[in-house]
Amino acid sequence: MPAISIRGLTKQYGKQKAVNNLSLDVEEGEILGFLGLNGAGKTTTIRILLDLLRPSSGTAAIFGHDCQSDGLRARSKIGYLPGEMGIFSDLTGRVVLDLLAGLNGSPVDRNMRGELQDRLQLPDSDLRRKLREFSTGMKRKLGLIQAFEGDPPLLILDEPTEGLDPLMQEAFYRLLADVKARGRTVFMSSHVLSEVDRVCDRIALLRKGEMVLLATVEESRHRAARRVRVWFSADVGQPPPLPPGHEIVRADAREWILNVEGLLGPLLGALAALPVKDLEIEEPKLEEVVLKYYRGTPE
Amino acid sequence: MSRFLLLMAHSIRRARTMVLLTGLLLAAFQVMLVFVARFIANSGGFEQLTALLPPFARELMGPYLTSFMSFAGIISAGYIDLGVLGALVAVVVAIGTVPAAEVESGFVDLLLARPLPRRWIITRSILVMLLGTLTMLTMMVLGTWLGLEWLAPRTAKWPTPKLVLSLAANLGLLMLSWGAVALAVGAVSRRRSVASALVGFLAVTGYLLNYVARIWKPARSVAWLSPFRYYAPFDLVMGFSIPLQHVLVLATICILGCAAGYVLFARRDISH
Repeated sequence: MPAISIRGLTKQYGKQKAVNNLSLDVEEGEILGFLGLNGAGKTTTIRILLDLLRPSSGTAAIFGHDCQSDGLRARSKIGYLPGEMGIFSDLTGRVVLDLLAGLNGSPVDRNMRGELQDRLQLPDSDLRRKLREFSTGMKRKLGLIQAFEGDPPLLILDEPTEGLDPLMQEAFYRLLADVKARGRTVFMSSHVLSEVDRVCDRIALLRKGEMVLLATVEESRHRAARRVRVWFSADVGQPPPLPPGHEIVRADAREWILNVEGLLGPLLGALAALPVKDLEIEEPKLEEVVLKYYRGTPE
Repeated sequence: MSRFLLLMAHSIRRARTMVLLTGLLLAAFQVMLVFVARFIANSGGFEQLTALLPPFARELMGPYLTSFMSFAGIISAGYIDLGVLGALVAVVVAIGTVPAAEVESGFVDLLLARPLPRRWIITRSILVMLLGTLTMLTMMVLGTWLGLEWLAPRTAKWPTPKLVLSLAANLGLLMLSWGAVALAVGAVSRRRSVASALVGFLAVTGYLLNYVARIWKPARSVAWLSPFRYYAPFDLVMGFSIPLQHVLVLATICILGCAAGYVLFARRDISH
């Protein structure tokens, strides 16, 4: 059973469709990166999963429990980190954690909280302070602790590393690796593509409310052209006609630079008769794929 | 502790300073009124005070004038005073609009991302409002009693316990009806300031409408719309009971406001 199952989900505000006919399964135990520009519909989708927003049509379910009609059961499986921690600033960190832990459906393991505090470097002395004295990063750590401490089967994280320093980002990535090793599922929105590349198994990319890409990180990367540089030991002429997907960036007498989408076979075939001195194939970056989709020009 | 009680305890903690401070101020005001009434009584000034009132004020108060120009009447005035009404309305509106504040701050996201039914947010607000109103009025009644015990002249005729309790009960029902209106508006608002301003405007309009209708006949046709019309302190001071119809109207506003709060909050999209 998928951890998250979304079918034909649409959320409409007047004539504007924030999410349009979205269908998506997130398998148990995977980390799915939910990408898109601001206003693409990521947060709307997350809020529908939490039953904070009601869909105009379609359904969303968490471990088989419909998010709207069986929302309490669905939400008992979730640990949620909002994009912004909306907490009254006159409360201390400890009060917030105790309150939110108490409101969880299942008891919270105090050792787990202690471990999270250690890993995210938020000691008890900080938790005794009022939130108005917290920095952005400290609030983020508090948010991560409240989301992770119940060890829920599904973590929904909205921009989890926003405001964390590089060391804490590393700590967070290790935390993600641990929860994944324990079979937990993570559904995270992010703008940081290097982070998605590093921690996610698959990515789902939204543009103007519609899903334009759903693939593993590896598959996604291969959707971009690879840059191929060829050096020759003797002067050669212009490249021969190549099949679609081959773009000649530069062709000098002793060096060609090409962008190649898809298989390299045709190019290697064309090079077989030429005095090739060296060959360099640059792996495409996830950023290139994603940016292409963001711009709305995927080929 | 059950999860609902935990939510209640959290909300009570957040409201307690405002409620206790207001209750203390109202109690102190009652003590001060007893002091003023003692001063007037000792100087035999009730008749002189009546004579000093301008004609329009006498006309406005009509047969109630004699009852209010007495030791018990002055003390009862604390339950009619505009400042007292304003303070109590402000507190219940603040409590009633807590759901809007929690939506605005995003705190409700953290609450409802957990397995809590939405109706708990409204039920919690209703209970905190009930407790807050009860606490403030109890402190006010205690202030009246303490003031009388400490300061009332031996010869003065005290307001009866029945009168004080009836005034407090009627005032409490009026406050709860405004709280219920605030809850209904707060349940559908994104901004607490907008919800509070709207209910505040309605309260001021309702108060003025009720008074204008006493002296300007055309306004009487719409005065029934004001909840203040169903607050009958003057009748109580004259020795009458609270009209049952008034109690029913205020209770109906309370029930409808709370019901609207449940329905609107259950159906709304929560976004800030």
